[in-house]
Amino acid sequence: MAARILCIGNRFVGEDDFGPRVYDTLAGMECPADVDIVDGGLAGLNLLRYLEDGRPVIFVDAVSGFAPVGEITVIDGDIVARQAPGKFGHEAGLPFLLHVLPAVIDNPPPRVRLIGCEGGASDDAVLDAARLSLQLALEAQ
Amino acid sequence: MSPTRKIVDIPFNRVEGDLEVRVEHDDGAITDAWSAGTLYRGFENLMIGRGALDGLVMTPRICGICSTTHLMAAARALDAIAGVTPPDNAIRLRNIALMAEHVQSDVRQSVLMFMADFANPAHQRHSLFEQAQQRYTTMGGSSFIDVIRETKKILEVVAMIGGQWPHSSYMVPGGIAFEPSQAHLLQCLQIVRSYRQWYERRILGCSIERWLAVDSRAALDVWLDENSTQRESEVGFLLRFGRELGLDAIGRGNEAFLSYGSLDLPADTDAVASTRQLVAAGVVRRTTAETFDAAKIAEDVSHAWYKKALGALHPFNGETQPYATGREGGAYSWIKAPRYDGSVVETGPLAEAVIDRRPLFLDFLAGPGASALTRQLARLTRPTTLLAAMETWLVECIATHGATIIAGDGQVPDGQGFGLTEAARGALGHWVSIENGKIARYQIITPTAWNGSPRDEGGVRGAWEEALVGTPIADPDNPVEAGYVIRSFDPCLVCAVHTVKRNH
Repeated sequence: MAARILCIGNRFVGEDDFGPRVYDTLAGMECPADVDIVDGGLAGLNLLRYLEDGRPVIFVDAVSGFAPVGEITVIDGDIVARQAPGKFGHEAGLPFLLHVLPAVIDNPPPRVRLIGCEGGASDDAVLDAARLSLQLALEAQ
Repeated sequence: MSPTRKIVDIPFNRVEGDLEVRVEHDDGAITDAWSAGTLYRGFENLMIGRGALDGLVMTPRICGICSTTHLMAAARALDAIAGVTPPDNAIRLRNIALMAEHVQSDVRQSVLMFMADFANPAHQRHSLFEQAQQRYTTMGGSSFIDVIRETKKILEVVAMIGGQWPHSSYMVPGGIAFEPSQAHLLQCLQIVRSYRQWYERRILGCSIERWLAVDSRAALDVWLDENSTQRESEVGFLLRFGRELGLDAIGRGNEAFLSYGSLDLPADTDAVASTRQLVAAGVVRRTTAETFDAAKIAEDVSHAWYKKALGALHPFNGETQPYATGREGGAYSWIKAPRYDGSVVETGPLAEAVIDRRPLFLDFLAGPGASALTRQLARLTRPTTLLAAMETWLVECIATHGATIIAGDGQVPDGQGFGLTEAARGALGHWVSIENGKIARYQIITPTAWNGSPRDEGGVRGAWEEALVGTPIADPDNPVEAGYVIRSFDPCLVCAVHTVKRNH
């Protein structure tokens, strides 16, 4: 089973539009039919439905503090989960979702990786991330 | 200012990234408050020049929680411009998805955000503290986990009716874009029934009918003492611990309420309401009920970082031109100050309950007055007024499957219209002008703008600024009481930035 690519972030805020830009790029590319590509936006906890069927998940999101500015980095889901804040709020994002995941789904959690970009991404970086997400998705089969 | 008077910034950034609340306190109580939205959003300006239908795609993406509500407001504005009334099944299917969003949000906000603070170390001397920790500790509490497990399921209703999740854009001028299959509608019905059973068991500890029979404060005490199931339910615990903490005596506010009305009734339905909407529109000021008139809404920018217009403007004439300068003086928020007929009003589930004339909440107003606890009780029990109608409308959709779902030709002519609805957090409106087939003006007033507004031209505080005044503040380093007051309004200002930040 190929992975699911979940691009997340806010397309109206430059600082956070990396995931949606990668989604838009993937939408214009020829992609294998069994790779599921989702424009996850700001759905937060309501993305749980995409993490329950055992398919490996590649998240794509803007990150801060993981790599030099402009660089693309791949971060393991466990490390993302460790960044969870101590409290839940409307803004609870990916770290919270991954942290709480094992306790709130019935199946074992899927393997999760995050393709992140630090700071504003160039168009080339977005294209690279789109290709990398497909590569990781197919490798996950 | 007396020597003991101090200013404290309430650390809301741990809860709401773009909200800052500053209070002045003296002798253990808050004497003044300022609420600031710290992010310029400017959605309105993003819309200008786009196609007439673009609001249906753009605005649901401005909020990760209330996306269906923005879709509803955007669609209703276009209905108004096109002069069309959606057919019954379109009305039902629009409503059901919106209600699914509400019944999820009401429970999540109550348990994951409001009651999560019951586990705050500030309460460790209270007799129920150990139980509160066991139930509400973030990430591990039994209620915390169970609420996430169960509330995730109701979202499938939005996904099936909207055809996708997230970013459903299935509402279109005159109706909806497609009709879900019978199989999907039957699944939705099953999900709603199962959610209702869980809600009755875990949240109420009794049937919805039993809860709706609670019609006064005395009847509420009887309900609480009736059996251990009710006492131990989430509503039971909210009441018991909330009273112990004195949450029934703080956060009164100015007791002026606004509801735009929501959830139009189909022409032919078994659902019953006092008006042609399940949630009535209205205004209550100082216990006097008034008919709601959208023409009486105006936005004041005297204390917001926008170019100052000629006094307060109706949203059809509103301007959203950012203008932040150190010389401006007095401005402290990116949120404008909406006012109704010049008055500060609060909006949300308590406002809906008061305007719907629900006896329990009228009795609170007639007695001790509004409070953080009353506001939260109204929110946690609002699904009791929605779940039965969701079932009724699903059954009606199944029985009439194949009936028309759109009126008109889907086109939007030039013109002006507004779409009003109730979001989980209260009154939401979109005001739209279309010229030459393009959006010429788009103004959005969110519930948090009503509740969390800064002062207006007359220096009158916004709703929760006012509700904070008088709130005790035992420990300025852990001002948990102020947190309850603000959270009882369910602030939501996070249509913003969610980057994964390295913290560890």
